[in-house]
Amino acid sequence: MKMIMKNLFILLTVLLLCACNDLFEYHPYDGRISGETGINAKNTARIENTCAGKTHISFIMTGDTQRRYDETEDFVKSVNRRDDIDFVIHGGDISDFGLTKEFMWMRDIMNGLKIPYVVLIGNHDCLANGKEIYRGIFGEENFSFLAGDCKFVCLNTNSLEYDYSHPVPDFTFIENSIGERRAGHERTVIAVHAPPLSEQFDNNVSVIFQHFIKRFPALQFCLNAHEHGISVKDRFDDGVIYYGSPSIEKRQYLLFTLTPEGYDYEVVRF
Amino acid sequence: MIMKWYGFKYTVLWLILIFPLTASAQNSYEKRMEKRQQRWNQLIPTHSQLQYAGGMGLLSGGVGWDYGKNRWETDVFLGFLPRYSTRETKWTFTLKQNYIPWNIDAGKNFSFSPLSCGLYANTIFDEDFWMSDPDKYPNRYYSFSTKLRFHIYVGQGVAYNIPYEKRRLLNAVTFFYEISSSDLYFISVFGNSWLKPKDYLHLSVGMKFDFADKRQGR
Repeated sequence: MKMIMKNLFILLTVLLLCACNDLFEYHPYDGRISGETGINAKNTARIENTCAGKTHISFIMTGDTQRRYDETEDFVKSVNRRDDIDFVIHGGDISDFGLTKEFMWMRDIMNGLKIPYVVLIGNHDCLANGKEIYRGIFGEENFSFLAGDCKFVCLNTNSLEYDYSHPVPDFTFIENSIGERRAGHERTVIAVHAPPLSEQFDNNVSVIFQHFIKRFPALQFCLNAHEHGISVKDRFDDGVIYYGSPSIEKRQYLLFTLTPEGYDYEVVRF
Repeated sequence: MIMKWYGFKYTVLWLILIFPLTASAQNSYEKRMEKRQQRWNQLIPTHSQLQYAGGMGLLSGGVGWDYGKNRWETDVFLGFLPRYSTRETKWTFTLKQNYIPWNIDAGKNFSFSPLSCGLYANTIFDEDFWMSDPDKYPNRYYSFSTKLRFHIYVGQGVAYNIPYEKRRLLNAVTFFYEISSSDLYFISVFGNSWLKPKDYLHLSVGMKFDFADKRQGR
């Protein structure tokens, strides 16, 4: 009996020491953010710097990493082995349950990328107080940046999560973004988490949304995540293609290259 | 004279007949009263607790009951969670079940529990959290609750048993620590190697105050 207790004591002491990193947790949803914040603002600045004046822009579209930590880690390693890519767009659902630590874990994995990345907000990232955690770590839900001559407009489209308390999609933001004429802005790519006509989107305005985004200078195509499989869809039969990225667990990503003539894309396995 | 005798005899007979009845009536009444009071007394908490962290708030306070040779405990807690990066401060409620199989006398009024273990359910009071996904979502859109969390823990404790002559309000004070994890972390750990114990195991510490109580030792 004494022996068992002694062993138990040693075991528990070891466990105690193991737990020493983020020692105390107040609540899985406590919103205590540690480590780097303002990721999207910092990384869009990096993208704009490195891509300024470039005629060929290569970027990766991925997303729906949720609780696939191993696959995301492998993704980062495989992207780091390449030197022909300018940046990564994470299409959202960087968390699965909206837990505070999920956002930080995935941020820490994605921070392993040598190239800059941006993260859109997904519907899973809105759960509980996830919206505030997303804001705290990554930044505004709607943002844009200029890579070479192409403006990337990243929009929150998770209408089902917002109950009309917040404009989703935010047409004021879109209108202002159309009106904003940045020097060198020749063409446009739209990136969203949930595409129009999906169950997350406010489909009362899906056609209006489509009308709005077509007013951007030379809209090339749209990117979405959320549906977990690769898809190439002309959702409104108007020639605007929505490219759906595979979820990370498929161990695939979409690689786009913008050229002066247009664009190319391919599916890459890792 | 005869009447007097009869009167005396009847009085005695009357008393003999009545006495056991009254005595037994008194007895069962008192017994019932006592039993009733004992039952209600069992609802009086045997201890209170203060706990730091543990996934139930920054600081939680509560009361509890021990039973079964003090090996089993049931506690309730109210926890306080500051807002941090979120919109508002929150309160949480916890129902906790403990099992403490051994209590070893360590001398000089100290005793030691080499193992305590148990589970607790925690609910958070905030409008952004739900028990099951609201009707606005398609059927089984999110198949979990953001509001209700289950945790399991193991821990240890050291108790200072206040000497009998010095007891006023308390019988003993216990310092304990616990290592816990919660349901959603277990789901996350399943089938992945990136998450390490340091990510999903968390420490909490606390104090338990055993109330001075004549029921002690039952």
